Amino acid sequence: MSEALILLAIGFLLVASLVYLLRRREAEADDRSWLQEGNSARPSVEFEDRQKEQLDRIFGREDWDFIRNGTTRPVQRLFLKERKGIALSWLSQLRSQARAGMDFHVTRVRASEELEPLAELRLAIDYYAFLAKCGLIAALVLLGGPMALRGMAGQAESLSNNLRGMLRASLKPQAFPQKTRIP
Amino acid sequence: MEQRPNQPTSVAVEHALRDLQNRTLANLDGDFARLIYLASTRDYNSGRYAHDGLSFRFTEPVAEQVLAEAHREVFVSLALSPLKILVAQLEQYIRSGCASPGELLATWHELEPFRILAPEYGDPITVQLFISNIRVALAIVRASCREHQRH
Repeated sequence: MSEALILLAIGFLLVASLVYLLRRREAEADDRSWLQEGNSARPSVEFEDRQKEQLDRIFGREDWDFIRNGTTRPVQRLFLKERKGIALSWLSQLRSQARAGMDFHVTRVRASEELEPLAELRLAIDYYAFLAKCGLIAALVLLGGPMALRGMAGQAESLSNNLRGMLRASLKPQAFPQKTRIP
Repeated sequence: MEQRPNQPTSVAVEHALRDLQNRTLANLDGDFARLIYLASTRDYNSGRYAHDGLSFRFTEPVAEQVLAEAHREVFVSLALSPLKILVAQLEQYIRSGCASPGELLATWHELEPFRILAPEYGDPITVQLFISNIRVALAIVRASCREHQRH
């Protein structure tokens, strides 16, 4: 029983820190228009926009087009190597977040008396499909070279939305019946 | 929500932000110079921000909060800006420079001091993207400098 409690506490801490990080980034985007005056680089004000901007930067074509048209081969190679590293780190971060959310969910569900097998099955399928998609994109980035990085922004964005949807579904109160065996 | 005694009020923070913007940041040449200035107001050991002028006009907690926010905002803005703009910002910083361009480029390439320009920020990918983009921007500026020297 005490082990379950500890696991539950760890899971809760992980998800709480995830939610905290997401909210912190959201809060950072608010009310900073004062700095925009005179700034040539445009800061975004919404969290969603900022995340989209980040994905566009990592996977989009704009920087690659600039590099391809105006720089030497060694610089192009350096750019591709750097972007590949970031893309893989981003995928790894996404997988860790999904795993933390799922671990938390499984811990809660184990302690629950009212399981909903269909909902659980759907969530499990979503989770493994998500991991498979992450793996596929990582393989494409690793093996595909420049062609793979180009135009991946859409895939990356859909992956990011998948994760958000999954975390939201796994944290819904109705997804976890409250009658637990823990007194 | 109740305000804690030592917590800066939002009005004070707003005034201090404008003060920092108008008196200090507006006089710096470009976002890169602003980022370097703001990072330099942070103590290496404690990670806390300090600015005598701001602390005098407002309070230390207000100054600290304002510097941290400004640092984060300029950093994110540069980290997520297109590479083309980052290269232009870097060139502008080098031109307005405190050291000779060759020396600065060599030092930055060797020691990567730009790693300490990142604020305490929740998203490691943005920090990684910034460092990586600076590496690429440096390579572009170095190559263009070499090209200039040849002609």
